[in-house]
Amino acid sequence: MLKSKDLTKRFGSLVAVDGVTLEMEPGHVYAMLGPNGSGKTTWMKIAAGLMKPTSGTMTFMNEPVGVSSRAQVAYMSTEPYFYAWMTVKDVGQYYADFFRDFSMEKFESNLKTMELEKTMKTKSLSSGMAAKLKIAVTMARDARVYMLDEPFNGIDLLARDEIRACILREATDDKLLILSSHLVEEVEAIADWSVFIRKGKLVEMRDNEEMRQTDHVSVADRYREIYGHMEVQEA
Amino acid sequence: MMPLLKYEIRKTWSTKLMVLGIVAVEELAFLCSLYLMGQNVDNWLMALSTSLLVMTTIGGILFIGISSVVTLHRDMNTKQGYMLYMTPRNSYQILGAKMMENGLSIVLAGAFFFALGTLDITLLFGRMGELGKLWEFVTDILRQINSDLELSAEMMMYLVANALASWLATVSVAYLADIISSALLNGKKFNGILTFVLFILLTALLSWLQRSLVPAGSPFTTLALIDTAVALAYSVVMYVLSALVMEKYLSV
Repeated sequence: MLKSKDLTKRFGSLVAVDGVTLEMEPGHVYAMLGPNGSGKTTWMKIAAGLMKPTSGTMTFMNEPVGVSSRAQVAYMSTEPYFYAWMTVKDVGQYYADFFRDFSMEKFESNLKTMELEKTMKTKSLSSGMAAKLKIAVTMARDARVYMLDEPFNGIDLLARDEIRACILREATDDKLLILSSHLVEEVEAIADWSVFIRKGKLVEMRDNEEMRQTDHVSVADRYREIYGHMEVQEA
Repeated sequence: MMPLLKYEIRKTWSTKLMVLGIVAVEELAFLCSLYLMGQNVDNWLMALSTSLLVMTTIGGILFIGISSVVTLHRDMNTKQGYMLYMTPRNSYQILGAKMMENGLSIVLAGAFFFALGTLDITLLFGRMGELGKLWEFVTDILRQINSDLELSAEMMMYLVANALASWLATVSVAYLADIISSALLNGKKFNGILTFVLFILLTALLSWLQRSLVPAGSPFTTLALIDTAVALAYSVVMYVLSALVMEKYLSV
């Protein structure tokens, strides 16, 4: 469904994504894992059609990502991105105006679960509340692909449970979910596949269950194996 | 296209409300000065409010264009741009909505200020008959300079239309320069200088086209019409080039 082939993105001399080739299929939840600056966000932004690759291709249903894929891919950036003049209600209306798959009822229900008021101004929301709003509005779409960049950032323990439930509700056979997070244990509970990225390169893409069965390691253990020595080297 | 246009209007609404608020205060001051006229008082308010109204007319239209370029710049260079570029709309639609909003705003603001100016001058003439003689005096001088020149409402409309079209073309050039800066020169040395030079060159090209396409010795109306048509065509060319660069190279 979503495929990147020899995908590279450079920013001057810095290579953010370096020849990544991978394919993701519906019916799975993929965790994109790696330390800061490993290229997870850049890969997602290219998949969302926000960023142009330097070389290689990113396709959705065998077509290059672009206007038509944006209608079916719901992307949630880790940074707050709502216009400062908007209220929570305006954010919902904005999505309703642009995305046919957006459900106002689902949005209102998500707001209730997240304890957000429609009259709240986005610029006055705390970082935790803004993160909840991003989830509430993104998950109110009935998209084919959901890409959530650091969905648990700045969110307290109780709210994480609500967000996890909200995400899992959309994890159906016809949908593809991609999460990136530093909180490995948190995403391990949701994802069934792990994509390990280091310094822009794909290290490996593993079925979590198969990894536990054959290598007898958890995702967190594998994460430590891959990145542990790197952190020691960098220190 | 309509949702894009709706949100472009919403983004720049506060700027326009601010200009309208300032105009309302100045107009009120002007009307008060009209009331005070002939009451044998030092009518400094008339001079002040008239000067401010003239300045706001010019400044307001310039401000609307500049704030439109600033909004585009923010949409390309801050996280709020995700709101725009994650929608299933292409660059031609996104930029088209921006240009349409800017063009409409400039034309509507121009028409508003023109109507307000006409109303104020009419009120002033009604209150002070001698000003009518001053108008004839100015028209006489213009006739002596160029027999074709007739200071009429029609001529004023040509002038206003020409000024608005030229400003619209200048804003379109600024759009293209800013898009090239954000899409192709981002992070490169001398980005700011190169963008500024590009803006100057493209603006100079517009002036050169306007001068060279008008036949020598043309009457004022022909000159104004060709100038306006060239400015509008130039805006369209700038729009197509801008959308092309945005679609192929812009990363937000």
